Amino acid sequence: MPQLNPEFFVSQLFWLAVFFTFLFVFLWRVSLPRIATVLEKRQNKIDENLSSAKELQEQAMEIEKKINDQINKAKLETDEKIKKTINALQENVSSQLSSLDKDLEKKVSDAEKEILKSKNDQMKNINNQIVNITKLTVGKITDIELSDNELNKVIETHKGNFN
Amino acid sequence: MAAKDSPLKQFEIDPISNIELGGYNISFTNSSFAMLITVLVITLFLTLTVNTRSIIPSRMQLISELMYNFIAQLLSDTVGDNGKRYFPFVFSLFMFVLIGNMVGMIPYQFTFTSHIIVTFALAAVVFIGVTILGFINHGIKFFTFFYIPGVPFYMHPLLIPIEVISYLSRPISLSVRLFANMLAGHTLLKVFAGFVVSMPFFTGVFPLAFIVALTGLEILIAFLQAYVFAILTCLYINDAYHLH
Repeated sequence: MPQLNPEFFVSQLFWLAVFFTFLFVFLWRVSLPRIATVLEKRQNKIDENLSSAKELQEQAMEIEKKINDQINKAKLETDEKIKKTINALQENVSSQLSSLDKDLEKKVSDAEKEILKSKNDQMKNINNQIVNITKLTVGKITDIELSDNELNKVIETHKGNFN
Repeated sequence: MAAKDSPLKQFEIDPISNIELGGYNISFTNSSFAMLITVLVITLFLTLTVNTRSIIPSRMQLISELMYNFIAQLLSDTVGDNGKRYFPFVFSLFMFVLIGNMVGMIPYQFTFTSHIIVTFALAAVVFIGVTILGFINHGIKFFTFFYIPGVPFYMHPLLIPIEVISYLSRPISLSVRLFANMLAGHTLLKVFAGFVVSMPFFTGVFPLAFIVALTGLEILIAFLQAYVFAILTCLYINDAYHLH
């Protein structure tokens, strides 16, 4: 078996020592630090991205909160405005209604006065007519000339009987 | 012993250039050449693929990073935080054995991990290093490593020698495991390759198919043995920190 032939043992050991030492030193000093740098860089980048993502998320949540606050505020404001407007409208309506009521009352009372006045006028008129008719009738039937005052007195005393 | 067509002929060492230093023959051989190729492949691959240092890795860079993370994970799982400073060594060991095995899978290419002297030297470095580490960490208390607590006292005369022997046989088991696996696999491949040629008519197709399957298995073993070598090294380092 060639493995047990000691002829090249020293040579094998020598070159093994040379090449393995070279490999070890090279990897230790050059290759492995490079790979380590890359891995570290990547890890840093990942961490950075994660933290910035977290930050952005927080910002987004803050913005969302702000928006919600503003929406709530706007809602409250509009509610207030609507209430105010409704109140103002109601006041307006009620004041208009009351003024309308006053107007109507006034008109009604005016009309009542008018009616009363015209009633009185008519009554006077009727009185006059009665006086005239009575004067004419009495004059025609008899020759007695009745004065208006006399007639009025008679009518006044019998007024209750007419009604 | 190695006849012309012997399956063991592939393990023979041929000097490429004869060098002598202080009376020792340190010829640059096909074995040294395989080591050179291995070291070149590892250093060039790990350097060039990570050259751009891009945050989003290319496929090749990803392979380098995966290897890095694989061994880093292995060390932190077995040794913990203490293991970080041995990472370059364990990584070099893993890559050296892995790529050495893989280079050996190239036809006509020499497999230096199939030589017991090479694997034993690597295992001896691990063994001596770990023993020194144990003494540095625990001083003379390191000998309590051979004392198993919670065992009846009369068992100790039996158990302590067993523990010592098992400790001392670590470099042997570590090196022979790798060496034997490589030797057996490559010999088997060679034997079946001989069948392909010597069998009549088309029946040679069957050993050929077997070789194809076996090559897949050998690649798996190449990885597995490198992994085993690395994980055992990690466990030994862990033992040097944590006695029983």
